[in-house]
Amino acid sequence: MSAGVVPPWLYVFQSRFTAMLRTPLDPSSGTFSPAPSRYDTELRHLALPSRKLGAAERLAVYNRQYWIRLFQCVQSAFPLTARLVGYFPFNGYVSRFLSEAPPRSWNIDQVPDGFETFLEKALAEERPARADREALLEAAALDVAWRRVFLAPPCDEFRPTAEDAARLTTGRLRPSAAVAILRERWALAALRARLVADASETTHPLPEQHPSPRAFALVRRPGGVGELSLAPLEARLFELLAGHPVSEALGLLEAECPEPERAALPANAQRWLARSVELGFWSGLE
Amino acid sequence: MNTKETVVQGALARDALGLGLRIPHYAHLFEHWPKVDYFEIISENFLGEALPPRRNLERVRERYAIVLHGVGLNLLGHAPLDEAYLDQLAALADHVDAPFVTDHLCWTGARGMTHHDLLPVPYVEDLVALAAERASYVQKRLGRPFGLENLSSYVEFRSSTLTEWEFYARAVRESGCWFMLDVNNIYVSSQNHGFDPERYLAAVDFSRVLQVHIAGHERQPNGTIIDTHDHPVSDPVWDLYRAAWRLGGPFPTLLEWDDKIPEMPVALAELEKAREFRG
Repeated sequence: MSAGVVPPWLYVFQSRFTAMLRTPLDPSSGTFSPAPSRYDTELRHLALPSRKLGAAERLAVYNRQYWIRLFQCVQSAFPLTARLVGYFPFNGYVSRFLSEAPPRSWNIDQVPDGFETFLEKALAEERPARADREALLEAAALDVAWRRVFLAPPCDEFRPTAEDAARLTTGRLRPSAAVAILRERWALAALRARLVADASETTHPLPEQHPSPRAFALVRRPGGVGELSLAPLEARLFELLAGHPVSEALGLLEAECPEPERAALPANAQRWLARSVELGFWSGLE
Repeated sequence: MNTKETVVQGALARDALGLGLRIPHYAHLFEHWPKVDYFEIISENFLGEALPPRRNLERVRERYAIVLHGVGLNLLGHAPLDEAYLDQLAALADHVDAPFVTDHLCWTGARGMTHHDLLPVPYVEDLVALAAERASYVQKRLGRPFGLENLSSYVEFRSSTLTEWEFYARAVRESGCWFMLDVNNIYVSSQNHGFDPERYLAAVDFSRVLQVHIAGHERQPNGTIIDTHDHPVSDPVWDLYRAAWRLGGPFPTLLEWDDKIPEMPVALAELEKAREFRG
């Protein structure tokens, strides 16, 4: 290990610079702008003015850059949520979130981690209309699921051997990290697909609510993340399979199954299970 | 341990032209496999476990040489170097058999936080020693040439006792590492701080230059130039590139384009322009 001799002043200098960087941008003018008057006096004294800018204004370049980079990072992780909330208020949430939970990893992909939990808490405090709040949280959950599926590590796909087939009913299927099972009450997945291809930054209204919740899977494929519509009971089967041995999950599904669908359930469950294996929903059998 | 011959014997020709590997170019790249001597990847984009970057990297490395360029080493942070990060970096460099690895002579985090920016320090003697010792350690740890890049900066400090070019030259010399010379950064800083960029170049030991970066920048209404990498290379930067080539060419040259990224043929045409300035 290389310790290197770290001069004592370096910690003090970097602490002051850090405080300057993390000074939240001021939104009061309608854009997020640095407020150099709030910077540490010692740091302002240490910085030299240029011919064009004062010392604090020069530091402000870094302060602005810090926040704008992080705003963009969280926006790109939550593209649907950002457009529904609106970029300006969304950045306000990000500023509060990252003021509480500063980035700590070299991996910038981790910066947005936990933002959805912060947003849920923030929306609960603000008390917007209930439907709006629930739609925004559903949008955030969709953004999180999409990112999780896309960024999942390489996953083995479960291809049952004869031995696996023999213990399939007693074993428990391990869900692939590259698949997510979701339900939506608003037409958010289709809207998200449209918005990520749209460079506009205007706020988008909430989409229509479905007559009944729609189930679907996000599946990572070589060309990107794809969406697959699921029957409600099919989605429920996959949720149960994630937590129970196969035979137990099938039993629970049967118990939950509405009467009109009960007769067709065994054949459907068999078909859904086969399709899920074929599409790589599972990474192994435990 | 690493001499100029080490670099010459690597996968890159000394006058190689390379491009920063960026996601918007993948579609064109994987369809046309254009002629380019090498690609430079941002190391951190490929250190994680996510499959898509790894899969793309595998495809690229089958056909092109790849060098690593980091933004997260935090070489001049007050905290010790992150050994877990270095483990991953070394593994990635080994995996792609990188001819060399580069990062910046700067700090990127403090007090347990990471700022995701390349931050300046006062140019003073005791930081030369710290930079040299750490850079030397990193080079040994990676087992391949390690280059220190000069920053674009927007502020200077009253406590500096060395010029930027003295600071970098000393750090490179005393570490036994290499200079990752960014001529756009020299120009940006020269405009922001009011020094002569040719004077900077004159102080560079070109026998220690591992690679030269070129890129575009943007001038703000208040006169500050920001190193945005979102434009073609400006004429003054091409002039500096020409001056650098006269002083110390040949050297591998790499075009960075990170925002408002054009179609790949446009970026490659911009890279090819470098040949015009090698007279």
